[in-house]
Amino acid sequence: MPFGRLSRVPWLRPVVGAWPWALVAAVLVAVRLSKGALLSDAYALLSRPFWPGSAQKEWLQAAQQLDQQTRLGQLELDNRRLRRLLDLQRASPGKVTAPVISREPGDWWHQLVLGAGGLQGIRAGDSVIAPGGLIGRVASVTPSTARVALLTDSASKVGVWVGRTQRHGLLTGVGSSRPVLRFLEKDPQVRPGDVVVTSPASTLVPPGLSVGVIQSVDDKAVPATLAVVQLSAPVASVDWVQVLTRQGPAAAGS
Amino acid sequence: MASLHRRPLFVVSALAVPLLTLAAPGLLRIGGVPPSWAVLWLLPWALADGPLSGALAGLALGLLLDSLHLGGATQMPALALLGWWWGRLPRRGPPIERSFSLGLLAMLGSTLLGLSVLLQRQAGAGWAVLLTAANLYTLLAQVLVTALLAPMICSLLLLLWRRHSASARG
Repeated sequence: MPFGRLSRVPWLRPVVGAWPWALVAAVLVAVRLSKGALLSDAYALLSRPFWPGSAQKEWLQAAQQLDQQTRLGQLELDNRRLRRLLDLQRASPGKVTAPVISREPGDWWHQLVLGAGGLQGIRAGDSVIAPGGLIGRVASVTPSTARVALLTDSASKVGVWVGRTQRHGLLTGVGSSRPVLRFLEKDPQVRPGDVVVTSPASTLVPPGLSVGVIQSVDDKAVPATLAVVQLSAPVASVDWVQVLTRQGPAAAGS
Repeated sequence: MASLHRRPLFVVSALAVPLLTLAAPGLLRIGGVPPSWAVLWLLPWALADGPLSGALAGLALGLLLDSLHLGGATQMPALALLGWWWGRLPRRGPPIERSFSLGLLAMLGSTLLGLSVLLQRQAGAGWAVLLTAANLYTLLAQVLVTALLAPMICSLLLLLWRRHSASARG
């Protein structure tokens, strides 16, 4: 046994007896050379219970969300009350949820066919919204289907409003996936990134629905400034839409 | 030659055109633009069944498709003209079954159809709008995909219908 023979050499005996310490030193050298890999991991494992948890963040976010929701509800109530005072919008619109059963966003006609129609209370001219905002208006209705002219269709024209600068414009489809916003005045002071909503003065669509974001502005266009708008609702991939019927539930009942 | 329209099954096959036009998700699109299914069906029909039947089939398809689309633009005149023209072709020239000629005919046909729709839809807006990138893109993509599909689909249909009319004659 070479180890036993080595331990019999008198001056080597303390060295051989200290082999556990040599092992510890080797481990320390390894830890040093690996820049503390094992050490940090061990520390992380041990201190896990004392880490700042995700709970605090979630509480904060929930509180913030609750606050925003309450404020939104309050504002909507206020808005409706003020509009009723101004006699702008008589009935709050009813909502009919409808599946999209045919979709032609790329042909000469930009249209959808919905699987709900006259029997569900949809009329021609109703606004159609998808997750993200307004996508178009109902062009014609059969008893069980409705055909929607998308905002990108070249026959579509909707009055819109840039909220930041409070300017009106006419959103016109040009047959591409991004409609063009024609302003009424020469210098509307809009810039890319401005949010476009439906006009508060519009009689065709409910006011204040989000439509999209201005992507580029052409200041030199004649007769007035043009802007290209990216719609906020993903038209090409929407499966279910909501139709805002003109006669609200209250008006239909009475 | 003109015996296809006596077979109800072949006439009913025209219903595939509006169904394929409405289908979601759409079939065989290039950049979101579908082929012109009316051209793909009308070309072999007119070639196999003669000018009068071709023009009438074009009119009927135009009626069907106009009812499915927004606005007042109509495809009826263009489709009827195409059906009449394609119906006259086999009487005069050399045999038409070659894939290249089918593709070329479908290309010309879908160009004419697309231009007729484009002119009707944008007539009021002036030349500047007429030549926008979006319109040219739709036109080019539709012509391309229709011409690419025509040798495959039209030659099969033409084979089937020619064989039938030959057996009906002889």
